[in-house]
Amino acid sequence: MTEDELIALVGHRFEGGTYTIAQWENRLLTEATGRAALPDGLAHPIALFHASMAGARVTIGDILTLAGMEAPDGDDGVVLLGYDWEFLQPLREDEPYTMEGGVIAAERKTGRSGRTTDLLTFEITLTDREGEATGRTTNVWGFRRGET
Amino acid sequence: MSVNIGDPIGPWTMESVDPAAMRTTAAICRDPNPIHWDHDVARAQGFGDRVVNQGPLNLGYVVNMLLEWAGPDSIRRIGSKFTAVVQEGDRVVARGTVTGLEEGPDRTPLARCECWLEHDDGTRAVTATALVDISALAPVT
Repeated sequence: MTEDELIALVGHRFEGGTYTIAQWENRLLTEATGRAALPDGLAHPIALFHASMAGARVTIGDILTLAGMEAPDGDDGVVLLGYDWEFLQPLREDEPYTMEGGVIAAERKTGRSGRTTDLLTFEITLTDREGEATGRTTNVWGFRRGET
Repeated sequence: MSVNIGDPIGPWTMESVDPAAMRTTAAICRDPNPIHWDHDVARAQGFGDRVVNQGPLNLGYVVNMLLEWAGPDSIRRIGSKFTAVVQEGDRVVARGTVTGLEEGPDRTPLARCECWLEHDDGTRAVTATALVDISALAPVT
């Protein structure tokens, strides 16, 4: 992928849609973090990661494809560099959330070793069934390209 | 109980990162990256004989610490950076400190917190800044 092709990804929109975090799904994910399920139907905050992507109709595989990486093996690799998540309301199980978002930033960096890493920033917003803003997630992914 | 700048938060400890939890998380998140569940791939990518934990799980340990401190619906915002890998069998500890106090909408008391997830040797795998509703902790005046 050329740098121009990378920059051209800014503005790419995901299909968007709705997603409901199921009780079983929340329980399994919460237990994977090493704690028991939260009370009163609250979803674990990290559910925002996969729920926002599922609702926006984008998978990690789609992100790899978008970045021109069919599989994260060999000398290339993908790494999740950071998040910025905002919760205007707590996430809940069995609540249909509407998600929309896309690529908001792209940057190519070359380290002193000559290795190139492309950064892509995705933002997805959530609204509840009443149309009230619920949250926003911004995730930064890095794609190692090997030496230039 | 009052909250003051400089107060410590945590610790919250994951005694041994479980590869089964990574497999569950990979399935739920539809994460195809095999470094989380295929030892051969992890080895080929230079991670040795242990698979690599997902970022959301690493952040989840920090989140668990905040939820235990301030309540199950207390997190308003959290920003994080992943600065080192966490692998199968690792012992990691989440810690934090209160760095600021402010009011949100409806005079909700909020605490700004610097948090991190550290390995036993002190290496930080996650650094995070969180804005947390401390209504359950701070006296209402």
